[in-house]
Amino acid sequence: MKNATRKGLVAVAGVAALALTVTACSGSNGGSGSASAGGQVTIKISTFNNPGFGKSTAQKPGADLWTEYEKLHPNVKIVEDNAASSDDARNAFNTAMSSGTGAYDIQMADIDWMPSITAIADKFTDLAPYAKTANGDWLDWKTAQGTVDGKQIGLGTDIGPEGICFRSDLLSAAGLPSTRDAVATALGGKDATWQKYFDLGKQYVQASGGKAWFDSAAATYQGMVNQVQYSYVNKDGSTIDPSTNTTIKNLYTQVTTAAKDDKESAGLGQWTDAWGAAMKSDKFATMLCPAWIINNIKGNAGETFKGWDIADVFPGNPDVKNDQGQPATGGNWGGSFLVVPKQSKVADEAAKLAAWITAPAQQQKVFLAASNFPSSPTAQADPQVKGKTDPFLNNAPVGTIFASRAAAVNVVPFKGAKYFDIQTAMANALNRVDVDKSQSAADSWNQWVQDVKALG
Amino acid sequence: MSATPVAPNKPPQSPPPARDDAYERKLRARGRRGRFDVKASPYLYISPFFLLFLLVGLFPLLYTGWIATRNWNTLTGDGGVAVCGLICNSTEPSIWANFQWVMHQHVFWIALRNTFSIFALSTIPQIIMALILAAILDANLKAKTFWRMGVLLPYVIAPSAAAIIFSQIFSDQGGLINTVIGWIGLDPIRWHANTLASHIAIATIVNFRWTGYNTLILLAAMQAIPRDVFEAAVVDGAGRFRQFFSVTIPMLRPTLIFVIITSTIGGLQIFDEPQLFTQGTSGYGGHSNQFLTVSLFLWNQGFNSVTPGTPNLGRAAAAAWILFVIVVIFAVLNYVLTQRIASDAGPKQRKKKKAVAR
Repeated sequence: MKNATRKGLVAVAGVAALALTVTACSGSNGGSGSASAGGQVTIKISTFNNPGFGKSTAQKPGADLWTEYEKLHPNVKIVEDNAASSDDARNAFNTAMSSGTGAYDIQMADIDWMPSITAIADKFTDLAPYAKTANGDWLDWKTAQGTVDGKQIGLGTDIGPEGICFRSDLLSAAGLPSTRDAVATALGGKDATWQKYFDLGKQYVQASGGKAWFDSAAATYQGMVNQVQYSYVNKDGSTIDPSTNTTIKNLYTQVTTAAKDDKESAGLGQWTDAWGAAMKSDKFATMLCPAWIINNIKGNAGETFKGWDIADVFPGNPDVKNDQGQPATGGNWGGSFLVVPKQSKVADEAAKLAAWITAPAQQQKVFLAASNFPSSPTAQADPQVKGKTDPFLNNAPVGTIFASRAAAVNVVPFKGAKYFDIQTAMANALNRVDVDKSQSAADSWNQWVQDVKALG
Repeated sequence: MSATPVAPNKPPQSPPPARDDAYERKLRARGRRGRFDVKASPYLYISPFFLLFLLVGLFPLLYTGWIATRNWNTLTGDGGVAVCGLICNSTEPSIWANFQWVMHQHVFWIALRNTFSIFALSTIPQIIMALILAAILDANLKAKTFWRMGVLLPYVIAPSAAAIIFSQIFSDQGGLINTVIGWIGLDPIRWHANTLASHIAIATIVNFRWTGYNTLILLAAMQAIPRDVFEAAVVDGAGRFRQFFSVTIPMLRPTLIFVIITSTIGGLQIFDEPQLFTQGTSGYGGHSNQFLTVSLFLWNQGFNSVTPGTPNLGRAAAAAWILFVIVVIFAVLNYVLTQRIASDAGPKQRKKKKAVAR
């Protein structure tokens, strides 16, 4: 008997130990510990950069919308996990979607992710009915980007209309135009082109004794490629042969010539610590400024830093035509969506929150607190939004500037499924020339062509 | 229940045959159970490990092998048998297609080169340093525990923390080392752009963390060497160095094998350090793949390049299997080599012993 009991005990212990490890595994897997116990609901949301939803901090201004929603819905608790950049958030999200478990209840998704999200549209909740209840409205193209087969799986948060941010102190020290209007005029106003932007840069480099004009070739290129309707991928989703892609080759040559031959680039890799730190140094004088990047400039330079300003102008590209045959003007960089994976245990509650937070009233609050420009026409038309000025940018009327920048955008680039990988390879190619200085522009281009072909 | 001894005064035929039969069966059953117990329960006792190994070791290994043969995308899942595609001019489905694809990637070979280079720059100096440090600590030092603790201290730091701190020290612009180099008046070293420099930087992170750990293991083994062997060597006129090479190292052989094999496996799978050494949030492993390692390559493939329509997870799985095979080959090679190197002192004796044993 004694013997049997001991054996039984051992067996039980063994099984228990096994069971424990197994449950421990599955337990730690869950990013969504969200459960509804006794009517209490916890909604977990994954965001990146600064979405402007949370409590305001010196580094990340926000509209404190979670507190507001929790007050409106006492049974809801919201937990936001904020990643430094969209790439960081993306691979965790990809892992969760592939394994079918561990995804956040709400995921903020960059526009560049949308092709891969729409490919698995059936794994996401259709948010259209929720958006309707919450009176959400978006620019047509923003709605279209988040919609697959009539299902609206992504609700737009912000858009990224681009202006040109500049350091008025550095420009005036170099004897160049240094006020908002003067910079806009110097770049050509409505007829601004990349050529004029790089030409002015050349003057600045000479006049300033070799200081850089812009932060990074890859960042500048991003503004250029976002004006191309079909950059790397054809309408049918096939890759455009990189070796004969003259449009891209021209952009590449233009930006690498400016960066390398004319020494206009500060050679900083985007999102690196050095890039962030340079925003309060005098390393470069201008940068492309989508609305949301002002959060980053402010966060890195510090609220009290003086010198940054923004001009209501953006280089166009006469060589690149949109669908209507007009030359591309204006530019939109980034802007995000909220998606609700079906695997969420509180998908219904999460969808309600997603619809509320992207409704015009909330988009407006986010823009007023942070710098994420609304994708909702109602919010854009709001007098408070239009009247917003930013003391950090020398009291620039950012509300009217970004509205005017948004209106100037006449190309909505098509980003097929393969866009992300090819663009990543392109950023690497530019960084090889600009940041690493490990390859010549020509060699780096050839390697990009090889890299794109290797993807096939 | 106990068997009553047969009383001598009773006739021997008296015990009821039926009862005896049942009793014997019972006895036999108990015997069988006992034998089964002896034979089987050890397996039961060790089974948790093997069940766990099945669950978290063997199953993932085989499942990865299965994925490697399929057209598997991270997001959209299984898409039939793998096809290599344009790069190997083949549209035929084949279970080897993903392996072929990986082999056709220029980047994969660069990653393999980097892995070996970082491995050589970290593991080899690390073990030599660990041996020297262990020998020093083995000597009669004052405040022994203090020195031993000091050696182990870097091990307490989380690998990612060490990697982050070092990648700032090695930063190209404004990093500590480049600043100091600037004071001396030399050109800054491009730690993230130059291939060899980046490998040295990453190897430094690895060595910083793991040298102390290996030192302590080797030290423990050194202390287990019987002192009379050294005394005999001293009597024979061996100096400190001779003792180290002819006594210490051969006596350390089993431990050395362990240390070398674990360092090799760790070295070939290196991931955290190069991943965190990357500046910025894309282009992991450097813009021209200066410090892309095989495990970084497969992670990139599996979880960053998730383009729907490409069998990216299948390719990542194929890369994982290739890495697995390489690690196994290296482990075996190491084993053979260490056996030979460490027993250089007395190959003849060993042969004799073996002959006797046979």
